[in-house]
Amino acid sequence: MHHDNGIWVGAEDLMRDEAFAQSSQSEFSVENLDQTDGKWTASRRDFLKLMGFGLGAATIAASCEIPVKKAIPYVTKPDEIVPGVANYFASSFVEGGDYCAVLVKTREGRPIKIEGNTLSGVTNGGTSARAQASVLSLYDTRRIQNPGTVKDGQVEKQDWGVIDREVKAKLASGNIRILTNTIISPTAEKALGEFLAKYPAASVVSYDAVSAAALLEANQKCFGYRSFPHYKFDEASVICSFGADFLGTWGNPVQQAHDYAKGRKVAGKKHAKMSRHYQVEGYMSLTGSNADNRIQIRPSEMGAAISALYAEISGNGGGPKLNDKAAGAIKKMAKDLQAARGKSIVVSGSNNVAEQIIVNKINEMLGNLNNTIDFNGATFTRQGDERNVAKLIEEMNGGQVSTLIVWGANPAWELPNAAAFVEASKKVATRISFNTNLDETTLLCTHAAPAHHYLESWGDAQAKAGRYSLIQPTIAPLFATRQAEHSLLVWADSANLNANAEQPYYEYVKANWQNSIGAGQSKYLTQDAFWEMSLHDGVYENAPHDITAVFDAAVSVDTNAVTKPASSELEISFYETVNIGGGQYAHNPWLQEMPDPVTRTVWGNYLSIPLEWDGVNNIDGWKGLVDGDEVEVEVNGQKFTCAVVRNFGQAAGTVAIALGGGRTAGGCGVGYGINVNPILKQENGLTQYFAADVMVKPTGGKDKDFACVQHHHTMGVKAMGKEEGKVINADEKTLGWKGFQGSLTDRSIIFQTNIKDLQQLEHKLEEFHHEAEHLNSQTLYPDNKDYFGTGMKWGMYVDLNSCIGCGACQVACVSENNVPVVGKKEVARHHEMTWLRIDRYFYGDFENPKVVYQPMMCQHCDNAPCENVCPVNATNHSMEGLNQMAYNRCIGTRYCANNCPYKVRRFNWLDYTTADLWPSNEERVFQVEGENMPYYADNLVRMVLNPDVTVRTRGVIEKCSFCVQRIQEGKLTAKREGRAIMDNDVRTACQTACPTGAIIFGNLNNPDSEVSKAHKSAGALSYQVLEEINVRPGVQYTAKVHNANEELFS
Amino acid sequence: MSQPVAAVRHILIEGNKSYHNITEDLCSPTEKSPSREWIIAFSLATVFLGLYVFAIVWTVWKGIGEWGANRSINWAWDITNFVWWIGIGHAGTLISAILLLFRQRWRTGVNRAAEAMTIFAVICAGQFPIFHMGRVWLAFFIMPFPNTRGPLWTNFNSPLLWDVFAISTYFSVSLLFWYTGLVPDLATVRDRAKGFRKKMYELFSFGWTGSAKHWQRWEALSLVLAGISTPLVLSVHTIVSFDFATSVVPGWHTTIFPPYFVAGAVFSGFAMVQTLMIITRKVLNLQQYITINHIESMNKVIVLTGTIVGVAYLTELFIAWYSGYIYEQFAFYNRVFGIYWWSYFGMMFCNVLAPQVFWSRKLRRNIWWTFFLSIIINIGMWFERFVIIATTLARDFLPSSWSYYRPTWVEISIFTGTLGLFFFCYLIFCRVAPVVAIAEVKSILKMAGDQYIGPDAKHGHGEKAHHH
Repeated sequence: MHHDNGIWVGAEDLMRDEAFAQSSQSEFSVENLDQTDGKWTASRRDFLKLMGFGLGAATIAASCEIPVKKAIPYVTKPDEIVPGVANYFASSFVEGGDYCAVLVKTREGRPIKIEGNTLSGVTNGGTSARAQASVLSLYDTRRIQNPGTVKDGQVEKQDWGVIDREVKAKLASGNIRILTNTIISPTAEKALGEFLAKYPAASVVSYDAVSAAALLEANQKCFGYRSFPHYKFDEASVICSFGADFLGTWGNPVQQAHDYAKGRKVAGKKHAKMSRHYQVEGYMSLTGSNADNRIQIRPSEMGAAISALYAEISGNGGGPKLNDKAAGAIKKMAKDLQAARGKSIVVSGSNNVAEQIIVNKINEMLGNLNNTIDFNGATFTRQGDERNVAKLIEEMNGGQVSTLIVWGANPAWELPNAAAFVEASKKVATRISFNTNLDETTLLCTHAAPAHHYLESWGDAQAKAGRYSLIQPTIAPLFATRQAEHSLLVWADSANLNANAEQPYYEYVKANWQNSIGAGQSKYLTQDAFWEMSLHDGVYENAPHDITAVFDAAVSVDTNAVTKPASSELEISFYETVNIGGGQYAHNPWLQEMPDPVTRTVWGNYLSIPLEWDGVNNIDGWKGLVDGDEVEVEVNGQKFTCAVVRNFGQAAGTVAIALGGGRTAGGCGVGYGINVNPILKQENGLTQYFAADVMVKPTGGKDKDFACVQHHHTMGVKAMGKEEGKVINADEKTLGWKGFQGSLTDRSIIFQTNIKDLQQLEHKLEEFHHEAEHLNSQTLYPDNKDYFGTGMKWGMYVDLNSCIGCGACQVACVSENNVPVVGKKEVARHHEMTWLRIDRYFYGDFENPKVVYQPMMCQHCDNAPCENVCPVNATNHSMEGLNQMAYNRCIGTRYCANNCPYKVRRFNWLDYTTADLWPSNEERVFQVEGENMPYYADNLVRMVLNPDVTVRTRGVIEKCSFCVQRIQEGKLTAKREGRAIMDNDVRTACQTACPTGAIIFGNLNNPDSEVSKAHKSAGALSYQVLEEINVRPGVQYTAKVHNANEELFS
Repeated sequence: MSQPVAAVRHILIEGNKSYHNITEDLCSPTEKSPSREWIIAFSLATVFLGLYVFAIVWTVWKGIGEWGANRSINWAWDITNFVWWIGIGHAGTLISAILLLFRQRWRTGVNRAAEAMTIFAVICAGQFPIFHMGRVWLAFFIMPFPNTRGPLWTNFNSPLLWDVFAISTYFSVSLLFWYTGLVPDLATVRDRAKGFRKKMYELFSFGWTGSAKHWQRWEALSLVLAGISTPLVLSVHTIVSFDFATSVVPGWHTTIFPPYFVAGAVFSGFAMVQTLMIITRKVLNLQQYITINHIESMNKVIVLTGTIVGVAYLTELFIAWYSGYIYEQFAFYNRVFGIYWWSYFGMMFCNVLAPQVFWSRKLRRNIWWTFFLSIIINIGMWFERFVIIATTLARDFLPSSWSYYRPTWVEISIFTGTLGLFFFCYLIFCRVAPVVAIAEVKSILKMAGDQYIGPDAKHGHGEKAHHH
């Protein structure tokens, strides 16, 4: 259209062409739309067509769900980060004294999974549940996000500069005390040293949440080393533990479990040999549950029991009197120990110096010292002494402390004298906390100077003598936090800290390693190479090997100084669990939802009570109590109310409760369980983990959310039958609805034997295999064996003799596979989601049973009952023997879960993961900033999700996939490298987490694979659970073999 | 009095009815204003229907986790109710199909209501397999239709898929059969109606004129549908029983289930028919059509099927013991003496012991006893399904996974809600269609009317008969 302003749109326009002028007039008229000669003659049909098309198009456009995708590319791509490819960094998990050498798996810069570091001589590639779960604590929204002053239960934000100035001004005068748990970092100690040099009025007070002070003192006195020695459980043929939970929480449990399992492998069936393990204890600990023989005592009899053994070994009587049954058993145990001179180990968990000295003496007399007990491998994981805290409290009360710095410890909660500490701390003018969460102690402080999580930190550790490892950050700090060491150095005006550097403490650690730890190293040519390689490996090991410990002759053994047995009717034990510890792990949902291995309870601590057998047909809880009944417990005049759990193996006349419940501040563990710390009493300043004078009164109430994942526990417990007049299978007499229902126990789930009857079991199993094969061959359907004859056939092998039930695999599985946390109430309703569980069965003597742990996950049956019942083919079989779940196809009829004989299928009952469309129906399990949130609801926690694994929505079934994402990754690696797939290419999360190597995974079609070999070497002892029902599982178990001394109680 | 025929043929229509009387009696409930009893019952049913809708919305919105089912007991009240409702439906089909083929004339008094009951019971039953799904919005995945997902087909091995076919077939055939029977009667109502009602009945009676050709085709179609329905009586519950029988779960994996389920279904169905008929005949004043003879006949079926079910229970126990297989043995021991012992004893009492009173003719013909026992049997058959499902799943192979089940308010609401749904439908049915088949009753009047075969029968047949 020609305009007068001199603008034209084309030559025709410029020429003022008539046709163009006309057509441009009617540019938007209908003639141009179709050939209708200018008339709009849409018929009714056209109208309907167009309307139909319009409606259809609008409907499709409006109804298609368009996912919001935020893919933000790197502007400058970091060298190492390839989207979809994981990077592993060697680091060390350190929490107080707990230690594990780890590899941190990161994806796109986010740490998402912890693996063991096989180069470590401290943990040998094993992990613990605590280490596995530690990655979740990094993404805890309740971490303190910035430094500041603490007022009214909140941190008022301030800059580090302001805090530094304020703190330095305060530090200038008065006494300074730094209160910590055990510190095993040499560089942190150097930093502390600089701080102490700058402020001569400062000193360090160290204690442990669960104390080993007596052992340390005894070792100091007897041998001159204030540490745990290295116990060579693999070389010991007789092991005797007086209440030491050395597989779970005591000493260096990951290594101890590893070594212990080595000594438990049944080598060569003809002349089978394995170590024999005695456990003397009142409640059933994780270690006790693995023992061949448990000698039950009341907790106050521990000293008497140790003295009794000493009397047997030394020939010198004395010491308090022990109950007859235990005394007789200890006599027989002593014979076993003496027969294994130099090849036995005696340990004790007692916190009484005299008792620990006797244990040391026994070991010396048995020739174990410098044989199975080696101070070359001294373990430093516990260094604290609670007596120092008592002194500190006195000082604080006396007004002698003007500044208190708390580093990692939580004295306002985890001490028996916490109340006294809280009172005394009010007399301290400046109180500074390095703690990461606003916990009970930080709330008391004036300043919060929050430290990094270890996954954001630089650092190092020396868990065992000469075995160093490094901590390196795997993500930039999420919050405005600063390492405690860094803060100390800043406050000390350290000349060695380059405060202007990008990562000042990194340079400090590096310098310390190059100049001091690695000084004189000859492994690498240069110190730079030393640093680089140590950082790469995560460890630098230069363990001493020339230490010979000598028992100091001046140390006297006094059997009268041991604890005297109490005479009260009822006694109580307090114990540390493998997941929650002394309470320091209570804010980790993965650990809270990991069932305690022995009681199988979650989210809280419950009073464990013994069971009673009426001799006829009823097993019931003590006082007729059932699980979840509430009782009022009175110990030394202090009362608390809690729910009970009936527990086999709990000695009559005793009860027990775990430490670590009832946190009051700092995270998601608040409100779960009972804080029993105030009840613990101290003797000679040392905390005692038992008490006499206990009264238990049922209140008539009930914990309606009593959360326990296994309510039936027995597999043929035996007891004296009144009518029969002999020992009978009590399980099969208690089939009725009353009390604790038993079952017919000749079930093909667990097979166990004493090692001396191993051949009989082999025959029995051979017959069983034969019978099962016969039954299975009766099927009308064609055999599918050949189907899996070529290519890969994935399978698993679980050695029940190696499994100690520690639960590391379970947490690893949760971490690897994005398994949701559902909270206490949902677990109470049996809605737990764990893909891998560790079933625990009791067998043997009713009062003093043995335990077998059975990791149970999807068995990947080749003739899977779940597959043929799914109406929509949502679960089906791969050509490689995997039972697969197509979540998108699942409509949630749950028939598969009903038909699974192993009950390993898990249904998403509610929206546990916020993967659902509607936010209103999320299962709100956790409190975040005062608001109830589902787990995985906030974006920070979601950073822990494994991007290789789908997060499942409400209404679908899920289950163990044999870590199919790892299989895929392994296959791709092998393919890329143009070779056949090897064992190392694919290792499942549970397999790598296991400290004892109980789980082996691999290709069954390859006769040289680890799994095939293990299967073959086990021979007839290898069996499938429910072998005779023709589901053809892909998981093999080996029978549990124990080495009980059958004459022990006769 | 000395009629030889009277001794074997029961009087099925009492009160000296003429054809006109029959039309009047049976059409009038659809023509009168609703009675107070009806209004109360309907309001109550509507309230429960509302509760049902609320509980279902709640379930779909929040998730199946609102139910008491758990990781071991994945099915509980949902499938219990499903099997219970499906079972109830069976009496209708049996009466309309098998009894038709067997020429049992007494069926004409009750077949219409029983068939309606079948339809409504299947509707109620169908709710459960649909809404027990975790993701009900994808329920269409169970239909085998060509698709762009691969194409991805359903799993033809799965008994749940067989259920889909069995129940949809059952529902459609039953509906067709019922409606076919209704057509002449709707036409009768039409002929008496005026205005809008007339228009509606005109529509629904498909232009029925009552010509000989119509009747002939109608008879033929009825027979064909009876032929199709007859195997359904056996197949539907057989397939429902496959949901359990084809599994590996001890206590489910048994070959006795198909006959045992079918007998149980007929048993519970007749009990439900009794419950409904006894109320209906009273409220709608139909005692002369649904006579004590009808009630007695059905009680005979009840005592027979109840005893078959009892034998099945005992056989199960014997086989469990005889199998020598401990999982099987324990499953049945647990059923009887385990944690849910009360439901087993409830089942045994209600289903096996209680119906034995019907060996007595006096009690068979006692309305109150019959009504009371029909309720007892309905409860007993519910227990049977609960025993089979929940008790079995609570104690299977691995003791580690044993658990206990309790229903939540949501499940209770859904179940009572389906009762509301059922009665809502049934009460509307009573108001819009003759609850007794007019045409069929008329067809047997001369063979079973008391004026023809009763003690006071006049021998000149049909002099009182009027034609409408």
